[in-house]
Amino acid sequence: MQFDDKSRVEKAKKRAVVNQTEVRNRVELFRHLPQYEHGTQLPDLESKFFRNDPMHRAVYKVGLQYLAGDITGGNARCIAMLQAFSEAIRDYTTPAEKTLTRDLTAKIGSYVSFLIECRPLSISMGNAIRFLKNRIAKLPLTLSESEAKTSLCLDIDRFINEKIILADRVIVRHASTKIRDGDVLLTYGSSCVVEMLLSHALELGKKFHVVIVDSRPKLEGQSLLRRLVANGLNCTYTHLNAVSYIMHEVTRVFLGASSILSNGTVYSRVGTAAVAMVANAFSVPVLICCEAYKFHERVQLDSICFNELGDPQAVAKVSGRGDVNYLGSLGNKDNLQLLNLMYDATPSEYISMIVTDYGMIPPTSVPVIVREYCRDQLWI
Amino acid sequence: MDFQVVVLAGGFSKKLVPLVSKEVPKALLPVANRPVLSYVLDLLEQSNLKDLIVVVEGSDAAFRVGGWISAAYLDRLHVDVAPVPEDIGTAGALRAISHHLTARDILVVSGDLVSDVPPGAVAAAHRRHDAVVTATLCSNPVSGPADSGSSGAKDKTKKPGRNIIGLDPSRQFLLHIAAGAELEKDLRVQKSILRAVGEMELRADLMDAHLYAIKRSVLLEVLDQKETFQSIKKDVLPYLVRSQLKSEVLSNGAPQVEENGNDKVNSQSKRITQSQILANASNRSFHELYAFGPDGSASARRTHKCCVYIANNNKYCARLNSIQAFSDINRDVTGEANHLSGYSFSAHNNLIHPSAELGSKTTVGPHCLLGEGSQMGDKCSVKRSVIGRHCRIGSSVKIVNSVVMDHVTIGDGCSVQGSVVCSNVQLQERVTLKDCQVGASYVVTAGSEYRGESLAKKEK
Repeated sequence: MQFDDKSRVEKAKKRAVVNQTEVRNRVELFRHLPQYEHGTQLPDLESKFFRNDPMHRAVYKVGLQYLAGDITGGNARCIAMLQAFSEAIRDYTTPAEKTLTRDLTAKIGSYVSFLIECRPLSISMGNAIRFLKNRIAKLPLTLSESEAKTSLCLDIDRFINEKIILADRVIVRHASTKIRDGDVLLTYGSSCVVEMLLSHALELGKKFHVVIVDSRPKLEGQSLLRRLVANGLNCTYTHLNAVSYIMHEVTRVFLGASSILSNGTVYSRVGTAAVAMVANAFSVPVLICCEAYKFHERVQLDSICFNELGDPQAVAKVSGRGDVNYLGSLGNKDNLQLLNLMYDATPSEYISMIVTDYGMIPPTSVPVIVREYCRDQLWI
Repeated sequence: MDFQVVVLAGGFSKKLVPLVSKEVPKALLPVANRPVLSYVLDLLEQSNLKDLIVVVEGSDAAFRVGGWISAAYLDRLHVDVAPVPEDIGTAGALRAISHHLTARDILVVSGDLVSDVPPGAVAAAHRRHDAVVTATLCSNPVSGPADSGSSGAKDKTKKPGRNIIGLDPSRQFLLHIAAGAELEKDLRVQKSILRAVGEMELRADLMDAHLYAIKRSVLLEVLDQKETFQSIKKDVLPYLVRSQLKSEVLSNGAPQVEENGNDKVNSQSKRITQSQILANASNRSFHELYAFGPDGSASARRTHKCCVYIANNNKYCARLNSIQAFSDINRDVTGEANHLSGYSFSAHNNLIHPSAELGSKTTVGPHCLLGEGSQMGDKCSVKRSVIGRHCRIGSSVKIVNSVVMDHVTIGDGCSVQGSVVCSNVQLQERVTLKDCQVGASYVVTAGSEYRGESLAKKEK
């Protein structure tokens, strides 16, 4: 939904479950994206806990976790959401005089709008929801309710298993052939696939060194650093400002992605594009590790038309250092707007190869996979 | 949302003698001319919790409470009043009604709570962390001037219940709780918890609002295993908080053993991968970090979480557990927290019922409440007080900082200061009461002066 269209925003607010107050000072260029006051959402949702239409408790819990930022990362959010839907389906009973398929689809739709209000969906989640709705629509009419429910729960489990868990294993096996002894690998932020890849390569006995590039305000690389060091890897940690100084030592760059679009553009955490471009300038190959269920048929040329805005105050603050408050009173001035983008788009010419569960492909082959394997969102 | 609400309305409280009597159990004590239980029921009704279980000690009191509830809340709430034997303690009461509890989580509210803390927020915090128990804390209410309260010598429960609460740095988890009598002795803190968290914040300025969200399976298990637990606050909650890293209550996180063969290994590892993806991506609380051990091995130690919800500063929260608290709450509800009383206050900031009659030259100050049918004589002065229904107050009477309940007759020239006068009392002429409590149906003879005493009819 485009948020600069006032009438549609008003209508959406009336239907909304979560009461969002909009930020006063908005960046004009990003007016079409939702931007809400971050402090008020969670308390407001909490106080309406019992008042909402019966939202299943698992879905509510996941929504609260998204809102509070307890779960981040495309795979984790998708798995948590699918598990919540699975539980909701298990507890579902068809009301009288309604068909299972239509009513359940409507219910899933209401859950999804609630989750969107808590935090905009990632592309992987959108694909998973389309898959689920497709499976519900394709249920044969002869099935009884309990059979239909078990079949759906099995489908969801199979999706998680095949498209995420097993896909990750295949990706890790393929990509670890690209790691040789003596390599210096660079990664940005914290991607679960890249972490699995590095741990697997270490288990295979390869000798390599890892450089973790991190950036404010989220500083996601720190948790990755802790886990890798605990595993026994040699790591270097640096911030995004230093990436061009460290790039001349790096032999390969491994990055994760939130999604890959049909023109080969990689849609990933903000800062990935910068890392990929610097690597390209130093002639270092860039490999993206991404499961195939995250591919999307959309085409995006820039990071503006579709993005997510995070909490602007997080840019002005340093976590753990309450005394660092340089903006202070300036935060409320009209001619100062704070912008905290969450994602960016990396053009395909900076990517050397994409490692997916369908094999290692060049960025130009993404639309082929979407066309061939994504028939009716079944992802066969 | 799979929550069941249990309101513990108590019975006949010894601390509130002579205010309570056989006719007026603690739950029906009037605060601003409404029984105190009505505040809890209204709060729950506003949060759309319509199915309640109200537990009352003593069948007589249960009968009265049930009668009042069905009259006042006929179509608005569906309430089951469950009588339990007296002096059984809060945990004992839950044990007695345990067969009524079916939902996944239980919201336990104390019937003497006057507050506007949204129970939904407590429930949401409970669900978000998948906690075993969530307690509600709020800042201590400001209590009335200590020297004008019930006289210090007689009333040992003068100080509001002090608690020492240990919180983690993010103020979401409860690490330590100690209250009441334990405070006199040394404070013992679990070293394992401190080591796992790293940093603990000890607060003495928070009050326990007695609004708990507890997982039903854990509650029933604890009540079954520990027969001696009598009170939720003193026994069950500290036990759960102490044992949060050495959990014996749940089969929590123990990996299920599958049947046989290759399937076992495969599905195990798949589940481990899946849980690892979720775990690595989320903010791990110290429980998960502790359970996974220093080398990241699978959980050998079971843990459960005790969460806490700290109410906002602008929320009012008070418990009616002493006579001092009774006067304070009455004053607050007619004063700062008058949004709680549900009445709309007039321009003079007081509420005088339309059928009340005031004599000439009678002044009623701000923050006062005058019930229906009451009559006041001439030259009276009422300041910061609550007067009930159908009272007959003579002339030249001064009522300051007091609570007068229904059907009271006050003769001319009386002076009532800082006192509580129960229903059906008769104060004859020129009586002076300062900081006293007069029980129901008592007659105070003319011209007497009482200071800091508790007057009650002798039980036959």
